[in-house]
Amino acid sequence: MKDILKLGGILLLVTVVASAVLAFVNKETKPRILEQARLEKEQALTEALPMADKNAIVLHPDGYYVGYEDTTQQEVVGYALSAFGKGYSSEIETLVGIDTSGVVCGIKILSQTETPGLGTKIVEKRYGETSPWFQQQFINKSYNQLYLKKDKPTGTIDAITGATISSVAVTSSVQQAVESVVTQLKLGKDNH
Amino acid sequence: MSPFKEFIKGFYEQNPVFRLALGLCPTLAVSNSIENAIGMGLAATFVLVCSNVIVSLIRKGVPAKIRIPIYIVVIATFVTVVDLSMAAFRPTLHKSLGIFVPLIVVNCIILGRAEAFAGKNNLFRSFIDGLGMGLGFTFALIILGFVRELLGDGKLMGYPIMGPKFEPVLIFILPPGAFLTLGLLLGLFNWLDTKLKKE
Repeated sequence: MKDILKLGGILLLVTVVASAVLAFVNKETKPRILEQARLEKEQALTEALPMADKNAIVLHPDGYYVGYEDTTQQEVVGYALSAFGKGYSSEIETLVGIDTSGVVCGIKILSQTETPGLGTKIVEKRYGETSPWFQQQFINKSYNQLYLKKDKPTGTIDAITGATISSVAVTSSVQQAVESVVTQLKLGKDNH
Repeated sequence: MSPFKEFIKGFYEQNPVFRLALGLCPTLAVSNSIENAIGMGLAATFVLVCSNVIVSLIRKGVPAKIRIPIYIVVIATFVTVVDLSMAAFRPTLHKSLGIFVPLIVVNCIILGRAEAFAGKNNLFRSFIDGLGMGLGFTFALIILGFVRELLGDGKLMGYPIMGPKFEPVLIFILPPGAFLTLGLLLGLFNWLDTKLKKE
């Protein structure tokens, strides 16, 4: 009995010390981590809406961002929203920006933990290029072009070989997000 | 064993991947490119060295019956501290290592060395052992990553060295290719060993 108490006591001591260390580190790092996330979101929004003033991107109560030409917020130049797709091993969050005619003008994958070397190709840059080729395919497309080539005749997106699920997750979540905003706000004159 | 021998054994004689067959899960998973291999290898080495040091420091006070859960708590705490600190103070590095950091917890090499070495040896030797084993692990990952990235993707460190006409043998960046490459390399190391023993 005494043996069990002694062993239990030592384990308790170890776990209490470990918990204290973790609680301390968590408390010290939390504000910085939250700040990093906020800065990243801000950076991503300016990438998704390059034609908007970076201080004039505002969150609308319906859940999407509205980008204005300048801080007077008189002229809307675009909209941005997050699209969530179930990837192979993670939920993939993509921020997509569209202009007032409903055409994609910016896109950035914000978070994913897909298979390194395969699914992660959705964020991979080709040698010498500045942005991931897979995501570049979405630029200047309207929502009915945002399908994989193999899925629809109007589709223009090439999937990644060996990473179909990751490709589909991004493509379909972005397609649905863009279509929903375009129809809801009745954007563009002849968006077919 | 001299400190130098203690360090160098992790590269060939007791290479954790090719000799001890430890940490094979992360080895197979993240050796599909050289960049991933280096990232995982260095992160794991850092955790291994630190956990070896802590385990060695507390070895006299740890009762044998509960040493395994205690080692696991130490390792998991360490990995979490590293993960949080990196996310806060080195966000770009944290982003590029990404999933590798939590993966270190399931790397058997860390628990293996804690149990087989750090729990029974002094601080200095445990440090050296951790460093040598970790770098040996990194070395093994790089060899695998070199073969798999070159044949399965036509690239080295992201650079398309095989040119645009090369049709990559896709299987090499997938799990079956990892098994194949690892098996062949294991055979190579064994063959090398018999050759060296003959001399």
